[in-house]
Amino acid sequence: MKLTFRRPDGSHGVHDTDPGTSVMEAAVAHGEDGIVAECGGSLMCATCHVYVDPAFSDLLAPPAEDEAEMLTCTAAERRPTSRLSCQLVLTDDLDGLVVEIPEEQV
Amino acid sequence: MAVLAPPSSDIDLWEDASLADPYPLYQQLRDLGPVVHLSAQDAFAIPRYDPLREALADWHSFTSARGVMMNDHVNSAFTGIVLHTDPPEHDVMRKVLAAPLRPDQLRLITPRVRAEADAVVDRLVHRGRFDAATDLAQHLPLTIVSTLVGLGDFGKERMLEWAAATFDAQGPVDRARTRAAFPKLDEMVAYATQEVTAEKVDPAGWVAALYAAADRGALRPGQPEAMVMDYTGPALDTTIFATSSAIWLFAQHPDQWDLVREDPRLIPHAINEVVRLESPIQRFSRVATRDVEVGGHLVPEGARVLMLFASGNRDERHYPDPERFDVRRRPSDHLAFGHGVHACVGMNLARLEIRLLLEALAAKVERFELLGVERAVNSTLRGIAHLDVAVS
Repeated sequence: MKLTFRRPDGSHGVHDTDPGTSVMEAAVAHGEDGIVAECGGSLMCATCHVYVDPAFSDLLAPPAEDEAEMLTCTAAERRPTSRLSCQLVLTDDLDGLVVEIPEEQV
Repeated sequence: MAVLAPPSSDIDLWEDASLADPYPLYQQLRDLGPVVHLSAQDAFAIPRYDPLREALADWHSFTSARGVMMNDHVNSAFTGIVLHTDPPEHDVMRKVLAAPLRPDQLRLITPRVRAEADAVVDRLVHRGRFDAATDLAQHLPLTIVSTLVGLGDFGKERMLEWAAATFDAQGPVDRARTRAAFPKLDEMVAYATQEVTAEKVDPAGWVAALYAAADRGALRPGQPEAMVMDYTGPALDTTIFATSSAIWLFAQHPDQWDLVREDPRLIPHAINEVVRLESPIQRFSRVATRDVEVGGHLVPEGARVLMLFASGNRDERHYPDPERFDVRRRPSDHLAFGHGVHACVGMNLARLEIRLLLEALAAKVERFELLGVERAVNSTLRGIAHLDVAVS
């Protein structure tokens, strides 16, 4: 399945990924430097922040309480489409997902 | 599949020689199996990455409420700290404890911490030769305990001694090293639980916030006294050792320092790589609440089980070429900060302190020359007591 990162410089990273991995893990595996993911998915650092393309919003379950709380800690502006990519686990219906990487993570 | 008895080993992780160089022993334990019975302590150890990560996530089967250390004296001295609780009680306490350590709160103090980091690096680089384990690594953690935690200079001069003793006292009770640390441990506990009071601490500090939480009912009376130790206990030697280990590794691997200097955005990843390779807290333990299967082997109910963070972090089944120091590895899934509900509550602060020091150094230092190194020997921690370096 395809996963696209829109980077802060306007370029795109389009990667083949497998269902069951998180968007954060896919970013790290494919060298997307804009996803720092310092804490490795422990929901402690908010450095894997992404903006989900609105076309996909309805396909995602809303953030759980602990993710929502950590979303108040992002370095870049929090928007309604903000998510922590460690919590976005890819499923077949998310094929083609597009997420934008913010300017700042740390 | 039949559940087997774990392999047994007479490896003793608390011999002085083992404490000085544990990694070959961890390798032997990993080779033996996913869980190994240690006859010297009649305890079990989980040395491989996957079963370790799984066990750390499973607080139902592996409780922290009976202490995470290797003897009754220290486990009982630390009754009431967040590290020694299970959910749901743990979650309530942790929320209060973690409040000032959240990334958004730490961002507010970053300018102050950066100014401190820049000043100490300026001073030492100007001097040209210094002890990175003391002059460099101790400054920020000590400053933070006295200012942000809010203890002032009260007790500050003894904090380092207490911090080392706290971790030394965590070994098996039949070891002289362990027992020798008990008096200082008891002194520290008496200080934290009796001498530190709401009236004596900085009203804007983190300890005062614990007392305020008790006043508004978010904590029970008596809980703040123990939780002071959740701030002071792990705030010093852990971060201090991670910092000096970073300098030690960069001194030996100038090519890796060049990468960091060329692209300081690698620093957060380099910090993960340093603590993966040289995990300051080598291990804590849990107690099995039931008969648990670990990788096809039986760990019986009531057994003490060592979580060998430092071994999992060098498991060749998980990290290719695990002994290699590689700042581009991005091993953020390492277990040096633990994993699961007890993942290090101070990790963001530790990362901040180390990052700001490395950023300041990256701007000013081309090379570290290693002139001398003396390891610290401790029942629980791995680190360096003295690291004599010259910079250019």
